[in-house]
Amino acid sequence: MDTTRLLRLGELALPGFVVGLIAGAVAGGLAGLVGQPTGWALVSMLTLGLPLALLGGGYGLLAAHRKVRIGGFAPAALFWLVGFPLARVLHEVLSRLILVGEPGLPPDPLGFLAYQGLVSAGFAIGFLWLHERLAPRWWRRVAPRNPVAADVYSAYAAHAKRVFEQREARRRARRQQRDPAARPAPGGKAKAKAKAKAAPR
Amino acid sequence: MVDSSKVPVSGSPGGDAGAGTGESERVWRAGRLDPMPIRKLPEAPPAIHLLGPTVFLVALGVGMGESYMWPRLVLVFGPEIRWLFLIGVTLQAMVMLEMARYAMATGESIFAGAARVFKPMMWFFFIVAILVYIWPGHLSAGAAAFEEITGIPWLVTACVGLVLVGVVFSLARVIYDLLENVLSVLIGVLVVGTAIIASLVGSWSDLTSTLTGMFAFGYFPSEALSSTWFPIVVGSIAFAGPSGMQQMWYTLHLRDSGAGMGAHVPKIRGLRHAGEQEEMPARGFMFDTDDADEMKKWKGWRRWVTFDALLLFWGITMLVTISFTVLAQAAARENPNVKTLIEGGDRDAALSAMSDSFAAVGGPVLGGLFFGFIALIGLNATLGLFDSFSRGQADMTYFFVKGARRFKMSHLYAGFLWGVIVFGILILLFGPADGPAGVLDILAFLSTFAMGAYCVVLLLVNNRMLPKPIRPKWWQNAIIGFGAVFYLGMLFYSLARFGVVVS
Repeated sequence: MDTTRLLRLGELALPGFVVGLIAGAVAGGLAGLVGQPTGWALVSMLTLGLPLALLGGGYGLLAAHRKVRIGGFAPAALFWLVGFPLARVLHEVLSRLILVGEPGLPPDPLGFLAYQGLVSAGFAIGFLWLHERLAPRWWRRVAPRNPVAADVYSAYAAHAKRVFEQREARRRARRQQRDPAARPAPGGKAKAKAKAKAAPR
Repeated sequence: MVDSSKVPVSGSPGGDAGAGTGESERVWRAGRLDPMPIRKLPEAPPAIHLLGPTVFLVALGVGMGESYMWPRLVLVFGPEIRWLFLIGVTLQAMVMLEMARYAMATGESIFAGAARVFKPMMWFFFIVAILVYIWPGHLSAGAAAFEEITGIPWLVTACVGLVLVGVVFSLARVIYDLLENVLSVLIGVLVVGTAIIASLVGSWSDLTSTLTGMFAFGYFPSEALSSTWFPIVVGSIAFAGPSGMQQMWYTLHLRDSGAGMGAHVPKIRGLRHAGEQEEMPARGFMFDTDDADEMKKWKGWRRWVTFDALLLFWGITMLVTISFTVLAQAAARENPNVKTLIEGGDRDAALSAMSDSFAAVGGPVLGGLFFGFIALIGLNATLGLFDSFSRGQADMTYFFVKGARRFKMSHLYAGFLWGVIVFGILILLFGPADGPAGVLDILAFLSTFAMGAYCVVLLLVNNRMLPKPIRPKWWQNAIIGFGAVFYLGMLFYSLARFGVVVS
């Protein structure tokens, strides 16, 4: 895989990567500080932030290539149902490795995984929420040089265009109503009544 | 005369916006106000349009009830008490869907709907909003949490925050767009962060007990019937999710977001851009409910808002309360003092003890993070509340106060916004933040009474002011009717039995 192609993939994955990193780093990382030296805190922050970021980037790639329905909750929830517990297990294992020098699973691993799986639904809502805010804007920026980004952005743009056109049509209609020269004489009684009441006072 | 039991009054079949065909325009007559012209219903957004105006309801609704009151009840009565929360939030989700029905079908607020039925009803809400929502007490919890993190006195934060809110909303080009963006990011961070903190601090057993408790239907310990706890339990159910008039304001946000026939109504602009404010139409619009294509689009809009109601509103409110309940249980396990303080009802002391308990487990920063979230919840609620209050009052003034249309909607909005800000600062500096002690009970009464009253308004408006094909089904009416009986019944039962209003 050449560098340009990697770069393009990176561009597609960036919004999901950032959301995952922020989520993991801010909440997980800060929680792990526990008055430890800065270097240790940084490692702890990365053990949760990085897995979530990589998974987030993976979701972004799936969305950009239209392998999952963009903006849909169910695919995101399924994705994180697997991804979130995985990230948390990595976080626990790596944290233990750094703390006591040997990797180890949390006590009651099955209960742990089940709990993380349930919490993942909440994480998925928040992730999707932020991703849908960031990704379309970013993809629009890189669209001129990235055809996949251009394609996925066009799906968002098609919707925005439709909304815009509807609004413009309404504006034109309102302007026409206000401009007496452009308005033919009212005919029917109901219309005349409606217009009279609608007129600015 | 109410002429709403028939299909739209027919004139020209092609009566579209300003078509100027010279023939009579088709209108829908509803209640005592101007008839609504028939316009095209826009297409419902596809699934990718994930975010809706529900973001405002979530911002307003996820408040102290979710982060403090319900965790408190769980610690006192056990997780089984949460079935009442399930009922409360589900009822609110249904109310939200019914509010959306009128707003999306007409592009009018529910206040205008109330005025179509009986104008004094609308004025009742106008007055209640002023009495209940001008007090800046809601700022104190968030600002106090901010003080815990930064050391900046809460009064300074609150006053600066108030001015900042006013300036930002005055400079914004389109207020709705700005606020939706800001709140979306804040709530996104809140949701993601809450989920991660819950995943770090909580355990399987905490979660299962919280979840199974939600289905312990009928559980009601005898202590909950005491004069101390009954008003608190009832208040917590009523205020689960959005409370007071927040659901009514949601109809204004729906309209400004362009949902359904709201697409035919211009958005409110900030004071600096008031010159660009388009003329507000004097009444809403209706679509042709006899047209199969239009009804198909209507079903699309109903699906969209149902998705919003269930996933975003119901789901996020549930998630935040479950997370905070898990957090409270974890904190109480670490430090029994937390349980005593939470049960005792001193909110600030309890939140402080919870933060200490997290600091003991996860370091001082985790304690700080907890306060960070409380501050974030406070900020969300304050932003949402100020905007909603000004929006609601400006809407009623513009359409129903004589001479008000000399001003633009933006001017009225800014007038109410700065009015409530200046009053808020004066009260914070010189007066009682929650309102004079003598009227606190009256304000709590009015807030709950308004909820019962809006259920009645919803029944009247949706069943009398809308064309038959888009009226609610019997079971939807039954649920809203249950809401009216529940809110008003509990309010008066609490008054008659214990002599206290819900709290």
